[in-house]
Amino acid sequence: MNGPGAPADTLRWRPLALLLLGVGSLLLVGAVVVRSPVPIFLALPLLLAAPAAAWGGPRSAPRLRVDRRVEGAGADVRVVGTVDASEVADARDLAVALERPPGLAPTATAIVEPTETAFRFEVRWTAREPTVVVVPPPRLVWRDAAGLVERAAVVDAEPLVVERYPPELVRVGAIRLRRTVALPGETQSTRLGSTGEFHGVRPATATDPPRVINWRASARAGRLMANEFELDRTGDVLLLLDARGSSLGPAVDERLLGVSRAAAVGIADSFLHEKARVGVGVFSEFLDAVPLSTGRGHRLRVRQCLLGARVGPADAPSERAAISVSRYFPPGVTTVLFSPLIDPEATDLLLFLRRRGYPVVVLSPSPLPLLAEGSSLPADDEAIVARMVALARRTRIARSWQDAPTVDWPDYWSLGHFVEMLRRPAVRRAG
Amino acid sequence: MSVRDPSRPVRYPPLATNALVGLVGGFLGYLTGLPDLAGVGVVLAGVGVAAALRSQRSPRPRAAAPVPLLLALAFAALACPLGLVPELAAGAAGLAFLVWLADDPARFPGGVGRARTTLLVPALALGIAWASSLILPATAAPLGVAAGVLVVALAALAYLFARPSLFDREGAATY
Repeated sequence: MNGPGAPADTLRWRPLALLLLGVGSLLLVGAVVVRSPVPIFLALPLLLAAPAAAWGGPRSAPRLRVDRRVEGAGADVRVVGTVDASEVADARDLAVALERPPGLAPTATAIVEPTETAFRFEVRWTAREPTVVVVPPPRLVWRDAAGLVERAAVVDAEPLVVERYPPELVRVGAIRLRRTVALPGETQSTRLGSTGEFHGVRPATATDPPRVINWRASARAGRLMANEFELDRTGDVLLLLDARGSSLGPAVDERLLGVSRAAAVGIADSFLHEKARVGVGVFSEFLDAVPLSTGRGHRLRVRQCLLGARVGPADAPSERAAISVSRYFPPGVTTVLFSPLIDPEATDLLLFLRRRGYPVVVLSPSPLPLLAEGSSLPADDEAIVARMVALARRTRIARSWQDAPTVDWPDYWSLGHFVEMLRRPAVRRAG
Repeated sequence: MSVRDPSRPVRYPPLATNALVGLVGGFLGYLTGLPDLAGVGVVLAGVGVAAALRSQRSPRPRAAAPVPLLLALAFAALACPLGLVPELAAGAAGLAFLVWLADDPARFPGGVGRARTTLLVPALALGIAWASSLILPATAAPLGVAAGVLVVALAALAYLFARPSLFDREGAATY
């Protein structure tokens, strides 16, 4: 039957088919017992329905093309998609299962509008806080109209990423950063894309894709010529995420890391758009680093690294983080440290980084809004507790200011203060 | 964290298929000849309970909806006396049950039309079986022979159910 070793895309009997088989068999036995053919006539349709449904359905796993896109702005996330169901007899026989990524809350019932050859679906979610998550492709199952058999479809869909971060980060890339390379001004680069100024043509190499080939110049020269671009580096920035666990527990830690991840993606995108070099480090137990670089390919590497960040153990030493950072990144690079600064060990990291010559600006997502969500105290007690926790938080932020400028971030959808601080180089380099 | 089967508005119980299975099943119940139309009552009660379960929003009661209807029809078929008309009524009740299954209010409308194969193949087999019992001369066969034939048929069905890959067909390697 539907054994555990069966391939996922093979035909599966649904429980209803097994029910009909069981009742039909019992009717046959009953017919022999009561010596009457009447139950056999009732059993006949029940026994034959499931094989007939299997015979009438797709004989192999249908390949379905799914086109999806993300719509909406701010906290509103809408995923709209279309399934090309031309490989199945009728799109209305498809059942869709949409997995909701963590960090997104449902706001409305999913809409599914089928026609005979395709169907459109729309899901509405709300981002509770800034987030960057991958939306898994929908799982599609062909199911016969009577609900007796089913067969999983092979879904062909591009990966889809939902990015929601504070809007101020769009313009943070315009800030002039400190250079850490001895190449002021424009620097020749062979990177592709619309960024950068046209520099000239050169003989093409085997690794050049068709889009960089200058076909007119190739026709004139009689051999393939490629375009070269120059990139104007505005400076370097290192985004360092402290992904160590804290005393607040894994659930809160994961959400705080998600907020930091979203901000890091926003800042990286903005600086990469301005052709700056961006490096990323995620320190959980060890450092996961993407060295300083720029370009479209680097944007993907940065995003991949940030999406893979997970909360690590709480007892990873801060000095290890600082030493690891110094192996990947040159001293003097402007460093944005994302840390909730909950435990004293997290504050020590600032000191170690400063000693190794990294000017650090700390962006500290505050845990207070998350803690207030789960409170079950009466309103008066809750107000007192909130004031005390806020005072403790303020004290911790003030202490961290001794080592580096620190921006407390309680309102996750706004980063105006942080952008203003980055605009003031004197403050930024105070570390 | 997952939303399975994005819920689509549950339609009101489909009156036409409920009436069909109630009518055909009720006739089968009438043929049982039980006093005070008890057979009709049992079948109609089964139809009512099944329709009520099917109109629930929760998936678990909806999944259990066919059970009372099946039990009611099975009771009526077992209680029916011998005869060509009860045989025809039992077969028609089985087909009506399949029609009722295909018209699921939780799924997109038009299920009966899409379940053509599921309905036509059993209908064809039923027609052949009933025609053979109507037209062909029959003699009293030993009970053991009938039971043996049924066991073989059941074994064939069990083999089919145990190997769903028999319905698979490899896709072409080239197009």
